Amino acid sequence: MNQYFATIYRYRWLIYELVLRNLRLRYRGSILGFAWTLANPLLFMGVYTLVFSVILKNGMANFPLYLLAGIVPCTWFASGLAQGATSILDGRLYVGKTLFPSEVLVVVPVLTNGVNFALSLPFIAIVALLLHVHLGWSLLMLPVVVLVELILLQGLATLFATVNVFYRDVNELLTYAITALMFLTPIFYTQSLVATHVPQMAGILALNPLAGIIAGFQAILYGGAMPDLKSLAYSAIVGFVLLATGQWVFERYRESFSEFL
Amino acid sequence: MSDAIRVTSVTKRFKLPNIPKNATVKDFVIRTIRRAPGGPVVDALKNVSFSVERGSMLGVIGRNGSGKTTLMRIIAGILQPDEGRIVVDGTVAPLFALGTGFHPDLTGRESARIELLALGVSREAVAELMPRILTFSEIGEFADAPIRAYSAGMTMRLAFSVAMCVDPDVLLLDEVLAVGDESFARKCLAAIEDFRHRGKTIVLVTHDASKIEAWCDTALWLDRGDVAGYGDPRSVVAAYQALSTEVPPEAV
Repeated sequence: MNQYFATIYRYRWLIYELVLRNLRLRYRGSILGFAWTLANPLLFMGVYTLVFSVILKNGMANFPLYLLAGIVPCTWFASGLAQGATSILDGRLYVGKTLFPSEVLVVVPVLTNGVNFALSLPFIAIVALLLHVHLGWSLLMLPVVVLVELILLQGLATLFATVNVFYRDVNELLTYAITALMFLTPIFYTQSLVATHVPQMAGILALNPLAGIIAGFQAILYGGAMPDLKSLAYSAIVGFVLLATGQWVFERYRESFSEFL
Repeated sequence: MSDAIRVTSVTKRFKLPNIPKNATVKDFVIRTIRRAPGGPVVDALKNVSFSVERGSMLGVIGRNGSGKTTLMRIIAGILQPDEGRIVVDGTVAPLFALGTGFHPDLTGRESARIELLALGVSREAVAELMPRILTFSEIGEFADAPIRAYSAGMTMRLAFSVAMCVDPDVLLLDEVLAVGDESFARKCLAAIEDFRHRGKTIVLVTHDASKIEAWCDTALWLDRGDVAGYGDPRSVVAAYQALSTEVPPEAV
């Protein structure tokens, strides 16, 4: 594990270069550039507000902000995991044949989507301002929640990146799993809603390590409150276990990668 | 006296997971239920020992599948040996014909930067080396064109320039000197000659036995992972060629 972090640190400029290139490629040749990254959560925000707030009249105050606070970190998670899971397959050019450190390949899509996430944060602040929602000192906790998400995401991405090399259809299953995970994470409903209406489900939902993270973002960016540290700690522990497992499996099979790519 | 590379009883086995290529989750389930045994174990290198003196050039010969590339990857640090020890004194830069690690979508400049950073060169040094690499490689206005627009020779020229400009203590060349036009080949040779004069070490893998005789100080002959010959290039090459003509390699 220490070795893993040391490698990541050692190649930080390589990672920086690759993340920058990904961002450049993404925005190259598009007039709207970064606006495209915002278009996705904005579209969601608009449609869901229409469905849940206008049509179903859920009666939540400042519902668009609540949606945005959940969708933006969820988008990071979903895209980072989807791209991270195929990163070793996509990087077949480098793996096992060159000195290129293959663990870096998994970090790059996770961080690229992380940068997009970070660039969307000011936009959430603008929406909060427009809706006259006061965000407080709990904003200082934001880096902690971001870090927990990063660990969990990196762990899952490393695990799936390894498995994908050997079992190709895992990726299809993962695509469905990510969609399911999005729905099982309170983005357009709230945890308390589940607790009142379907209490037997609340316990199961609490097992979802992403739920605590998203709830943390919603607490900070919507409620102006401190995130629930207990569920955040649970997410962090699950994240670390997944990262340790993922990294162990990765290390165990890394020399077989090139035979299967 | 002082060795740049010391390889002591190195054994490398490939324990391939017993999974068909392009396996599915179904295969995983079946494999788990049937308790399928692990995959075949291939001994790519068996108890290989040798050393390369600083400032000398080692030539490695052997048939396809004899373990030459595995050995190069172990010296480069891409693979770890299962047994034995390998000590490399100084920095290493590999230059392999198979897999230059240049992505077709990236420009030559971007590729060179990424390659340098992957070799562990610091960011400041990268900025300093870039102009030299671009000049040496003679790729000219292609520097900002994607690699897919490059000819095989141009790609190799860029890869060679990166490896030479990094100025490693040990340079690993695997079947790379065959490409490029004559004038660049001469430039390569001059660079390699200069490299050796400065007390640097080279390991060369080639099928061209005459190059080993002409350039190398020592030769290593690998046969199915075993050291079949080691020492004076002329006698090793002679022994290798004698055997190759005696027993023609099975269907190549």
